[in-house]
Amino acid sequence: MDDLTKEFIAESQEGLDRMERCLTELEVRPDDGELVGEIFRSVHTIKGTTGFLGFDRLEKLAHTGEHLLGSLRDGKLAVTSELISGLLSLLDGLRDILTLIEETGGEGTRADDEDSELIALLTALNGAAPPPVEAAHHEEAEVHAAATPAAGAASAAAMGGGDKTLRIDVDVLNRMMNLVGELVLTRNQMLQSNAEAANFPELARRLDSVTADLRETVMQARMQPVGNLFGKFPRLVRDLARTCGREVRIEFSGQETGLDKSLLEAIKDPLTHAVRNSVDHGIEAPHVRVLAGKSAEGCVKLRAFHQGGSVVIEVADDGAGIGIERVLAKAVERNLVTAEQAAGMSEREALQLIFLPGFSTAAAVTNVSGRGVGMDVVRANVEKVGGSVEVESKMGQGTTLRLRVPLTLAIVPALVVRSGGQSFALPQTALVELVYVPKREAQSAVEKIGAAELYRLRERLLPMVWLDRLLALETQCTDEAHGFYLAVLEAEGCRYGLVVDDLLAPEEIVVKPLSSVLREIGLFSGATVLGNGTLALILDIAATAARAGVKPMEEEVEEVNAAEATAADASDISFMVFEDRAKERTALPLDVVERIESVPLTQIEYAGGRALLQYRGDLLPLSDDGNVLAEMEAGDQTGDETLVTVLICANAGAGGRHRIGMVVRRVLDVSTGRMLEKDAATDGMELALVKEKLTMVHHQFGAGAVTAWKEVA
Amino acid sequence: MEGGCVKIASGSVMDAMDGMQDESDAVSLCSLFAGSESFGIDTRKIREVLGKRDLQRVPMAPAYIGGVVPYRGEVLTTVNLRALLGMGEHSAASCVLVLEDDEVAERFGLMVDEVGGVVTVNRRMLEVNPCTLEARGKWLFDGAYKMQTGLMVQLDPAKLRPSRLAETGLFKQGGTGAMDASTDSR
Repeated sequence: MDDLTKEFIAESQEGLDRMERCLTELEVRPDDGELVGEIFRSVHTIKGTTGFLGFDRLEKLAHTGEHLLGSLRDGKLAVTSELISGLLSLLDGLRDILTLIEETGGEGTRADDEDSELIALLTALNGAAPPPVEAAHHEEAEVHAAATPAAGAASAAAMGGGDKTLRIDVDVLNRMMNLVGELVLTRNQMLQSNAEAANFPELARRLDSVTADLRETVMQARMQPVGNLFGKFPRLVRDLARTCGREVRIEFSGQETGLDKSLLEAIKDPLTHAVRNSVDHGIEAPHVRVLAGKSAEGCVKLRAFHQGGSVVIEVADDGAGIGIERVLAKAVERNLVTAEQAAGMSEREALQLIFLPGFSTAAAVTNVSGRGVGMDVVRANVEKVGGSVEVESKMGQGTTLRLRVPLTLAIVPALVVRSGGQSFALPQTALVELVYVPKREAQSAVEKIGAAELYRLRERLLPMVWLDRLLALETQCTDEAHGFYLAVLEAEGCRYGLVVDDLLAPEEIVVKPLSSVLREIGLFSGATVLGNGTLALILDIAATAARAGVKPMEEEVEEVNAAEATAADASDISFMVFEDRAKERTALPLDVVERIESVPLTQIEYAGGRALLQYRGDLLPLSDDGNVLAEMEAGDQTGDETLVTVLICANAGAGGRHRIGMVVRRVLDVSTGRMLEKDAATDGMELALVKEKLTMVHHQFGAGAVTAWKEVA
Repeated sequence: MEGGCVKIASGSVMDAMDGMQDESDAVSLCSLFAGSESFGIDTRKIREVLGKRDLQRVPMAPAYIGGVVPYRGEVLTTVNLRALLGMGEHSAASCVLVLEDDEVAERFGLMVDEVGGVVTVNRRMLEVNPCTLEARGKWLFDGAYKMQTGLMVQLDPAKLRPSRLAETGLFKQGGTGAMDASTDSR
């Protein structure tokens, strides 16, 4: 295919994308002459260009379309929903031919490629409307139904075609060129200078800043506004709403949020699926909505925004919400969980069930959904690119699905570990926690069933995978002065402990692809150059699990649920026990503690009498019940750096997720305990017995948490 | 595998330069060594000689993969010539050459004991592989030049490309054999 044709296809596809957006808008604002003009122009451009490229079939179809649009522009026709459907079929027809040209180089003349039917329909619309003849109406419906699956394929192909080319702002390109020039100049200076020269440190600094700028600019060039992806949803929602008999409006915000191009591609399918779900399962039929006191028209909101180094994309509907009873009943029916487990589940746990493979609550298998390929695929796809999926639902008020994806795939935070004398990088996204097993406990800590080795982590058995054995590395018979580390990893539903010799620093690593021969090994997702100049291989967590035979999904989940169920029966809760007021033991439910951080005292800042900490780009309010900070400030005369221990707690209270930091004297233990019944002796305090010692449960998390546990029990 | 380099007619050593008749017949080769044998690779196929490098080994990789090495923002897969020839591991650090296959635009490294210098030879003086050479040798070698110091075997970089080595399947079994040998030598 020559360049001219390629350019034509890329341009036409962009034009058609624009036309699609305008068409769906036109339905809402039928009197907008500008929109009609815009649509007319896209079709006209295609027609004009095809003429001299010699694509007759395309020209013929475009010509018919242009004629119809001409009548519309001149006000001879009124905008009806039939007309819009007809124009959308025209759009699909044009797209199909473009795809065909892109794939084969020719527009095809096979019998099934004929578009006489479509042309007839368009002519009928032009001549017969208004009012639309009943016969034309039927025909339209048929054509429309046939066009829908093709439309999906066509738009997928269109996105595929967009893969190869990328539009960059000339400004960005110029800046990049400037920076490259700067880089060359700096290099020249460095070559002329030598390491002892007086200006060498300055040159090194400049090189550093130029590199950083260049990196940022290139990243920026790869960033695409999320709006590009959102653009195709109005059409999708419109078609779906018609098929399902719903009235749905779609709203966007944050279209300008940038996301790496490859990631945008990766979340396209999950997002499409989520929007489909919202329309098909979420939004109720108009009469049901009216009965429920809502407006007949449902609303799907797509929202994109940045949050702490990742991009969050929300799909929110104001529909019926997810019925927990139905979810549980379905899960039991499909043997995903047992009835007893289902009975003991909290609302949040039950919602997680929709991510299990083979789960669908759709009453009937429709064209759109209910085939059992569902949220598990959405989750798997998002997790593949290092993201996560959350779901929130309120009965009768709607469901919000939140996809969280990293800004870029090229640079990921990772933990560097050593095993068998080699360094490996573990992506932080898969890392759950780290356990150190000292030498003296190494023997007793490993428990065995047959040849399988297990580690008992908070009364849950965790399969152990020895990295050096798995990779057939030479085990270095070191003096074994220290024990080993267990990195608890989770990927694609597998959870296991990876045994490594040593932990090195966490680093932001730049992912480099491996050659095909090394990719075939299947255990490494890439390599990276570490800060000290050596290479480290990046371990593919899921593949490693598969290689080691760690079984994913259901069994594991059931086991976990069973464990949680027993825990709930005995009303045992895992607590993190710490000391904040002197001599008092205070506890927090372990699930709310996200991390434990050591922060230099100097980093804690004060505003309006409140202590604050800048933590990962967020401002974290610190709660300091035991006046630890004041005491430390007073004692901090020595000038040494004093470290404060801060527990980062997720506070899933009203108004979304908030984090707070809790300043403590020291962390004592993690252990299970039992809540004490409230009576006169407890004097309104929330007390628990942890390891047979009286412990106060922190007030902010006590009351709310207890009600949640009671539900579980 | 020791028969990889067959000693033929070592008596008829002849200065390659003498036979040079035409400018266009001159080829410059970079000489390199593995064990006691010397090899030559066309300098036009060599992008860079990196010198002695510590390689990062890749666990579970085929035995002929010496490891990976960072090179200009890429991670370069490096082929171990000694392993291909079935020799044990080199005691000292190895030299790494960066080769490029123009056809597929794939870069890879070659790990050898030592890199010599550039020698110019007459293309027409190339002796073809002896018919007694076994299959792996036939794959790797491209004939030999008779030098004063002995024979210099010509290597074809296109055939040393890791993915092609994997495709041939010739080095699969030999691979494990070579690995055994290398563990023995340690």
